[in-house]
Amino acid sequence: MRSTPPSIHRAQANLKKKLQEGTILSWTVVHHPPEGFPSEPRIIGLIELEDGTKVAGQLIVNRQLSLAIGMHVTPRMRLSQVTADGLRSYDIAYEVPVHQDVKQEFPGYLLALTGPSGVGKTTVSILLSTKVGSYVERVPILTTRPPKASDEDEYIHVTTEEFLNLKRNDELAASTSIPSSDEKRWYGYRKKDIEAIWSKKKIPIVITEMGLLQGLSSTLGRRSILSFGLLPPGSSKRQMLSSLLHRLRERGRDTEKQIADRLKNAEEDLKFFEDQKDLFDHLIINDELEAVVESLSGHVLKVAKA
Amino acid sequence: MEEAIDAAIENATCTALDIDMVVVANMLGEATNDQAHLGAMAASLLPHQPPALRAEAACASGAVALHTACAMLESGKAETVLVVGVEKMTDVPGSVIASALMGAADAEKDSPSGLTFPGIFGLITNRYMFEHGLTRERLNAVSARHHKNAVSNPFAQFRKEIPAEAISASPKVADPLCMLDCSPISDGAAAVILSTKHESPLKIIASQLTTDALSLCDRQTVTSFAATKDAMVAALQEADITRDQIDCIELHDCFSIAAIISLEDMGFALPGEGINLYTNHESQITINASGGLKACGHPVAATGIKQMIDIAKQLKTSEKTYGLTHNFGGAAATCGIHILEHA
Repeated sequence: MRSTPPSIHRAQANLKKKLQEGTILSWTVVHHPPEGFPSEPRIIGLIELEDGTKVAGQLIVNRQLSLAIGMHVTPRMRLSQVTADGLRSYDIAYEVPVHQDVKQEFPGYLLALTGPSGVGKTTVSILLSTKVGSYVERVPILTTRPPKASDEDEYIHVTTEEFLNLKRNDELAASTSIPSSDEKRWYGYRKKDIEAIWSKKKIPIVITEMGLLQGLSSTLGRRSILSFGLLPPGSSKRQMLSSLLHRLRERGRDTEKQIADRLKNAEEDLKFFEDQKDLFDHLIINDELEAVVESLSGHVLKVAKA
Repeated sequence: MEEAIDAAIENATCTALDIDMVVVANMLGEATNDQAHLGAMAASLLPHQPPALRAEAACASGAVALHTACAMLESGKAETVLVVGVEKMTDVPGSVIASALMGAADAEKDSPSGLTFPGIFGLITNRYMFEHGLTRERLNAVSARHHKNAVSNPFAQFRKEIPAEAISASPKVADPLCMLDCSPISDGAAAVILSTKHESPLKIIASQLTTDALSLCDRQTVTSFAATKDAMVAALQEADITRDQIDCIELHDCFSIAAIISLEDMGFALPGEGINLYTNHESQITINASGGLKACGHPVAATGIKQMIDIAKQLKTSEKTYGLTHNFGGAAATCGIHILEHA
């Protein structure tokens, strides 16, 4: 590493930002540190700071303590290296306190409803909000696709640039891109929207798809997600697809071409349900609307009262 | 480099004089040999001194050079392009190489902590084990398979079988990664000739290049690489084939964990299940039949081009139709995917 006075000076300006407590996302022991650093093995952590930014930093560890992902760390100013011409450069290292239990973050529950296009997710969610509306609230979807007349207030429209900025700043709980004919369309959920719902003591609901569900599960932790898969009626894949086709046609919102595309996606979605069973807590067949809503509200009330 | 270029010309249906452009992939010339300006140097090896340029994107330099060559062919700027990747890494001490390779990471966010490249992948591996429950023992299968594959490859740096237990018993480099999880420091060169004018049974039907945040600190997840995912989707679309039609792949296993994550990101395995393609012997596709970066060696900028040569050889001998190369730089901050079709 070539540390020159200007580069060290620049780095100093950012030190203050790194002076925060944080949590270990991962760690490693570099057995042969680069030139300029002390030669003994160096423990380095990838740390998520309190403001959500991530840093790579040296970990100061008591020898008896075994390190674990999820541990809490405190910042300390430390001499990092002495350059060939004797310039001493300081950096923030993170100390792992001796006594601590590994905190498993549990931010709260989120209810996710996933299913192929046309299965009736929107209908179910509307019925659900009339039934247990005081306990649940929908998380708005952030999207770069242009507004349509049929949109309800579920979407927040942003430009691609704005979206990617949010993504870069780690303000999204999940994001996914879906290629369309002319451009890539982005969809996502903002962390602050979810947190706002939690702070009202309500349960956030997302009507979502596979990519976003996976994203949410890695950001919030699988345990936080009450995940329901909604399947069309039918005992075989073919029957399921055909009942979807009927619903999409009845709905009359799409052209035949769009319906064909949606069905193609649905086929992949159905495969996902089989492959990724662990992402779902309950799979519900949407043959009788009443029963589905009844069962979902039951789960909501159980969680809300817990 | 001369040897690789001569071999490429010898195997081609054209002559040296048909080459109207040279693209050289190289990352570390300045650090290892005080040599920049490799375009003119490579062009000097040809009788007619054609125009030349150098491409750099860390370990993905090879893929970037190929992509550049494809763009030149498509634009009509050139009709026959020599693409050569070269790296000479053993002339300088390991510490010089280690810090030069850190140039592939973020010099302000990653390097000041004292991280090395094995360190970065150590962080990734540890997190992956935490999220997906991969064990150290199961991870051994990756390097063991690559070494086994290399036995029959005369161009590999290490043509020796290594038992799985020996991998985790080798010295620790960056926990939980051991020496035998890491691709070695190598010298090497590879060259191919791409042409829109001269016939060949092999055709590049997709050339895609993607990028991601340079620093791990700026990513949402470190156990999956968005650049690989994006490149794969775009490459399949460009080639207009499905994943199942691909028969063999050469993927970027700079570290054992990278092979697993890449298989998942390319959709050949579900998240957390990439290792099954190594522990399970009946997988559908052939992965790194050459021995990969681990056993063939990883002369960084030559790798992406060497992968294409290996896929070409495999398609020719197996008479299968589609093969894919996957080459990334840094922690997949640049990713290049190429798909080859054999007629």
